[in-house]
Amino acid sequence: MLSALGIGSVDELFRDVPKKARIGRLGVGPSHEEPEVVGEVDRLLGRNRPYSQFANFLGGRLACRYAPAAVDAIVSRSEFYTAYTPYQPEASQGMLRALFEFQSLWVELSGMDLANASLYDGATAAGEALLLCRRVHEGRRFLVPASLPWEEKSVLANYASGPGLALTEIPYDPGTGRLDLGFVRQEVGRGDVFGLLADIPNGFGHLDEGIADLKGILGTVPLVVAADPLALTVLEPPGNFGADVVVGEGQGFGIAPSFGGPLVGLFACRKEHARAAPGRIVGASVDLDGAPAYALTLQTREQHIRRSRATSNICTNQSLMALAFVVYATVVGPRGLANLQAALSEKARTLASALGSIDGIHAPRFDAPYLGDFTIELRRGSAGEFLEKLRRKKILGGHPLADPRPGAPTEPARILVAATESVGEKEIAKYVRAARSILPGLREAA
Amino acid sequence: MTFRQARWDEPNVWDLAPSADGTPPPQIPGVPDRLRRKEGVRWPELSELQVLRHYTRLSQMNFGINTSTYPLGSCTMKYNPAISEVLARRSGAAQLHPYQPESTVQGALELTWRLERILAKVTGLPEISLQAAAGAHGEYAALLMVRAHFREQGELAQRTEVLLPDTAHGTNPASAAMAGFVAREIPSKDGCVDVDALAAAVSTKTACFMLTNPNTAGLFESDILEIARRVHDVGGMLYYDGANLNAILGVTSPGRMGFDVAHLNLHKTFATPHGGGGPGAGVLAAGETLAPYLPVPRIVKTGRKFRLDYDRPKSIGKIKTGYGNFGLDLRAYAFAIAHGESGLNHISRRAVLNSNYVAARLGKSLPRPFRPLVKHEFLLSGAPLKERGVRTLDLAKRLLDEGVHAPTVYFPSLVEESLMIELPETESKRELDGFIEAFERALNDTPENLKAAPRSLAVRRIDEVRAAREPLLSWKDLRSSAAKVEASPPVAAAP
Repeated sequence: MLSALGIGSVDELFRDVPKKARIGRLGVGPSHEEPEVVGEVDRLLGRNRPYSQFANFLGGRLACRYAPAAVDAIVSRSEFYTAYTPYQPEASQGMLRALFEFQSLWVELSGMDLANASLYDGATAAGEALLLCRRVHEGRRFLVPASLPWEEKSVLANYASGPGLALTEIPYDPGTGRLDLGFVRQEVGRGDVFGLLADIPNGFGHLDEGIADLKGILGTVPLVVAADPLALTVLEPPGNFGADVVVGEGQGFGIAPSFGGPLVGLFACRKEHARAAPGRIVGASVDLDGAPAYALTLQTREQHIRRSRATSNICTNQSLMALAFVVYATVVGPRGLANLQAALSEKARTLASALGSIDGIHAPRFDAPYLGDFTIELRRGSAGEFLEKLRRKKILGGHPLADPRPGAPTEPARILVAATESVGEKEIAKYVRAARSILPGLREAA
Repeated sequence: MTFRQARWDEPNVWDLAPSADGTPPPQIPGVPDRLRRKEGVRWPELSELQVLRHYTRLSQMNFGINTSTYPLGSCTMKYNPAISEVLARRSGAAQLHPYQPESTVQGALELTWRLERILAKVTGLPEISLQAAAGAHGEYAALLMVRAHFREQGELAQRTEVLLPDTAHGTNPASAAMAGFVAREIPSKDGCVDVDALAAAVSTKTACFMLTNPNTAGLFESDILEIARRVHDVGGMLYYDGANLNAILGVTSPGRMGFDVAHLNLHKTFATPHGGGGPGAGVLAAGETLAPYLPVPRIVKTGRKFRLDYDRPKSIGKIKTGYGNFGLDLRAYAFAIAHGESGLNHISRRAVLNSNYVAARLGKSLPRPFRPLVKHEFLLSGAPLKERGVRTLDLAKRLLDEGVHAPTVYFPSLVEESLMIELPETESKRELDGFIEAFERALNDTPENLKAAPRSLAVRRIDEVRAAREPLLSWKDLRSSAAKVEASPPVAAAP
């Protein structure tokens, strides 16, 4: 190859890099053969304690859920996982069709008209929804529940900050966790609200019936609903109560939590917002012979064409995770999914009443319906201390809801607890026993 | 080589079996009636085998790196090591919830921390965050950091502009706009930044100049030190788009070139699979000025323990759930330690050699804009095809019939009918020669055949205009369009 180029050394190919910009050694260590790489990675992973080694009550937007092996059998096909974005649709019908099915499924679950081919995660999908609202409605403020998980508030604050928009938090009823609809009405009345996001289940894991009244208050102001896809197998599609955009985190459908990523952001909206929507969208068409064929479409919204006027900067999304999502849902089937949600809910009720019987725990903290997750509040001690003591007894007792950043407002010791698939009577009894023995040793709340 | 892709007459998943019959899902006690789903989700009930067959057949109608040479410029379609797929599925990696106590995820934190240290050396920038899910996500976060920095300096009202060359990836101006800046393009000269034009454009309004080096024309911006000086002289920040890092591994680094902040795509340079469009993994690398603004949490080592540090008062906060795409970070770490110093150096040398070799040979068939010495990718212009009544698009489609993927086409737009070709280090000379021969066969085919291509794939040329004009974006749309067809009166027969 060098002789074809008429050069004596590869070094000559770097003569355009000025000497002053050159570096010496990287200093990254020697190379390793595959068995050594496996040894090193396994050594590190051996220092982790996967949740399967515990009685596990961790939940929230990410679920520790079993994925049938069939999901991985498909996702592991290298025709899928080693492909790039389907820029050449004729060579990429497999992925395009799978993504079209994924979009279709989120449309069915959400009650919207169209979905995109995925975003990074639920939180960034909410951020993109905020920007969509601003594109279709005037205003400076976006309303979000005060009960929204702090991570999502922080992500949303970032999406709002670029265009100089502001978040306003909607207070909740201290007894039920329900949104203060009077506050919403008053804020919307000021005329500078361009959108509102409400979540179902909410940040406490509970359901708020008031979500169905929001569109009536908002009028033309767009409503974004952040919904859990499994919950939507038993709950009314948000499209039926007026949502303009429905977003969600899809990780629970066939994707391992993997310490928080890769995840999959779900995004769907009404038809009138199609050209304001972010991300890749697959559409159906025909080929030269009139046969059905699929391609990325409505691309004039996108960064590679519209550049600074694009609806979003997103390029790489989470296609493979979208594939896992639709394969999982299809393997488990619509009835299987609804039955799974029903089974988790039943377990959660048993768990909540068991925890509620303990002196020192208010469980569930809110007097509102729930599915698989709910919030407890400790009457003594801190959430971190309590959870660490549970961990020593081989229990992952949930996660603290408070913002961990120094300077964040102090909050009550609230913990989101999930009835995961792996939880049974034995695990519930273990949690109750452990909590009973730990709580008396914790400091009385001020 | 004769190539034929599988052509399954495979229905959509909902046409494989009837969907739920509208019966309501199980009732959950306590759920108010208004929130209860009245009809089960409309989706088919299939056996596991039916599902596997369906998606296996779909997979057979898809190009991947493992099936085909994939010369997609700017995408660095290199081999994704099989071992990484095995390792990422270990329970010690997959079965970790991000909210587990730190004491139970020490290995994950250490692996991430170690990868960060490697990436700090590769970028020449000391502080790293792996939270971004993709390159564009990293760009956006970096610009939010730039914004936070100027807010703190009290200069935000004045620093309104993000400058970028006209060859920049579309994500750059899009990210700039999302971060609240006005994106201003600087015209290129001979495919590179015109330093005089840049000097005329920079001012105290400049928040940032975004640059890819080597750039999207495959050219190394040899004036980079001068460019950095010009931007810094007016107090602006210099941003490195790491999409093309593969060309310079171990030769130079963003830090050395004077960049203040960078993003890298682990799904390009560090061989994590691109998954048919994602997931990716972005890396944010920052120098001293911008490091305090990196997203939280940061991973810190105290003694032998690792922990998540949220105590960064200047941080922009969170940009996604969790700490990044850990499953991809793990793959990148495996790739990095497998390669080590010598392997990483080899990558850029081999990638640049591949590119120059193919460029020299194909340059005999189609014009190459700009200077001949390129880095990891190069441009050709398909403009002469127009004399034969065909276009770059036809050539791209004809290449698919050869069983190789098409290059990136029509980008960057400053070259007429452009083709952007990148053949990473994992393509051997045999593959390169095979690609060159396939390219020449395609190029020399008749205009009729070029326009009729592809013919060997699951479908023929797709009507993309129709897809955009009459959007059918889901099963729901297909149902209503079928209903419309049925409802419309039959066309009257001619008398």
